[in-house]
Amino acid sequence: MPQLIVENITKTYLVDNAPLDAVRSVSLRIDKGDFISIVGHSGSGKTTLLSMIGGITRPSSGKVLFDGEDIFALASDRVSEYRCEQIGFMFQFASLLPILTVKENLLLPTVFRPRATGQEAAAKAEELLRLVGLTEKINVYPAQLSGGQQRRVAIARAFMNDPALVLADEPTGDLDEETEGDMMRFFKSMNEAKGVTFIMVTHNTDLARQTKRHLRMIQGALQVV
Amino acid sequence: MAFRNLRRRPLRTGILVAALSLMVAALVFALSFVIRVNSSIKLTSDRLGADLLIVPTGARGGAEDILVENRATSFFMNKSFVDRIKKIKGIDKVSAQTYLVTLTGLCCSVPSSMVVAFNQETDFIVTPWLKEKLGRKLQKGEAVVGSESAYNINLGMVEMEAKLFGSVFSMVGVLDKTGSGLDTAVFISDENIEEIIKNSDADIKPDQISVIFAKLKKGADPYTVMSEIENNIIELDVVMRKDIGKSLLTTLGDISKIFYLTMVLSTVLSLFLVWAIFTAIANERAREVGIMRALGAKERHVVILFLFEVLVLGAIGSLVGIIAGTALTLMMAQSFSILRNLPVDLTPFTRTVIALAGLLFGTGICVLGALSPVQRLKKLEPLLVIKQE
Repeated sequence: MPQLIVENITKTYLVDNAPLDAVRSVSLRIDKGDFISIVGHSGSGKTTLLSMIGGITRPSSGKVLFDGEDIFALASDRVSEYRCEQIGFMFQFASLLPILTVKENLLLPTVFRPRATGQEAAAKAEELLRLVGLTEKINVYPAQLSGGQQRRVAIARAFMNDPALVLADEPTGDLDEETEGDMMRFFKSMNEAKGVTFIMVTHNTDLARQTKRHLRMIQGALQVV
Repeated sequence: MAFRNLRRRPLRTGILVAALSLMVAALVFALSFVIRVNSSIKLTSDRLGADLLIVPTGARGGAEDILVENRATSFFMNKSFVDRIKKIKGIDKVSAQTYLVTLTGLCCSVPSSMVVAFNQETDFIVTPWLKEKLGRKLQKGEAVVGSESAYNINLGMVEMEAKLFGSVFSMVGVLDKTGSGLDTAVFISDENIEEIIKNSDADIKPDQISVIFAKLKKGADPYTVMSEIENNIIELDVVMRKDIGKSLLTTLGDISKIFYLTMVLSTVLSLFLVWAIFTAIANERAREVGIMRALGAKERHVVILFLFEVLVLGAIGSLVGIIAGTALTLMMAQSFSILRNLPVDLTPFTRTVIALAGLLFGTGICVLGALSPVQRLKKLEPLLVIKQE
């Protein structure tokens, strides 16, 4: 059975009292360990689609089934648990909390559903920071980091709770070419070694070509490239 | 996290803490004032030992001044009223007292004080205290002093002689604290009145007394007896035990109304301020909350985070307010004559209860004001707030 089934989902917003479909009747089946890239113009509905898969916005119609369970049929707390335990989010903008240090930002998801001891979580945060090359920044605040460094911290944070599915929204947008390559290798290693499923939205066609399946969104609809 | 959030905007946090402090300080002051005055009146009434207090017409306020507020004053009526009162239906016992005010330097060798002359044969007000403390009756030329009298406080000793109205008196004892205004008086037997009149210019005649205390027979209705006295003897005013301090309570009631109005206004203002500031905080941090929700925070995590922040703010504001309110109470106790003269001070227990009430009230207002913005925030759809730039 596919890990993720997206069944005919639509998201409609009211813009100036007129309905606007950000996502239109999208269906998708993704197996565990898949690595999918979605390309498309700005405003084509990529972020909205990722958000519905991740349970942070509710579709106007349709279903999202993860491991056979309709996530929008769950109670609010269970949806939060789904986001915390199964999903690793990488947002397309800086998403670190400014009052927390780098280490505390990484530990944030573990606070909401603590599965490991504080020491284990701290060790994991340090290991992930090492993997993204920011060991020496562990105790600094986001404001003391460059945009690229903040992005790498957010990437590390997405793996803190050992997610089954990573939703990456232009994860390398602020990174230089070399770091972008490093991060892509990191993603592939997590995908291949740990079987983490990836859905990555990107404008970079070179990056998209490195994934197992490529999709394109045009005006809210999904097409196979 | 809550502490760090509060430190983000120190000025805003400071304004909110200051507003809460003012509100709590006003509450602590108002409660201390009202409770202290009420306790003084109740204690005086409870310990009086008489059901009715009978004074010359128009002297009712003066009697309350002496009993409740420790103010030295004198007024007189003819002694013959004692016999007339005894004959009233429902009266069990009566006892008279005469109040004299000493004047420093003129008649007396002591600071200005209230001197109470009482009849030892009929008295049931002072005698129980006297028996307990001295163990015998007062002799002519002897006096005992109240626990807080000028003699006791200023001289620090009682085994001494002092001139009162031209006569020399031996101070033979100190009475225990009664909680009434009589704690500041000097007590002598009424056998001394004759000599006082002879030796001084005291404005009193031999057949005069100041007040008659009356005890009622079991089952007698104080109101009926009071009406009977006032209807038959127009020269007298009667105060029922439960009405002692009523004129003070009326004044207090008016002051309390001002306090209550101030309290209501400052509560509404604080509530509005907390709501406005937390609405601003909620708008400011909506995106951060959206990110936390996306990372798995449940609605209750958001509520707990903000609630803790609100509680910290409320607790700090309330504690500052309690300290300020208590300091204000102590300062005002010296400045307000109504408070300065009261026989009862607040006990540590009452002060603790008032402080706890202030803490609960201040924190409660903070929570109440923040409730609506936090409720709104926890319900926001994460994507919508995350996308806000």
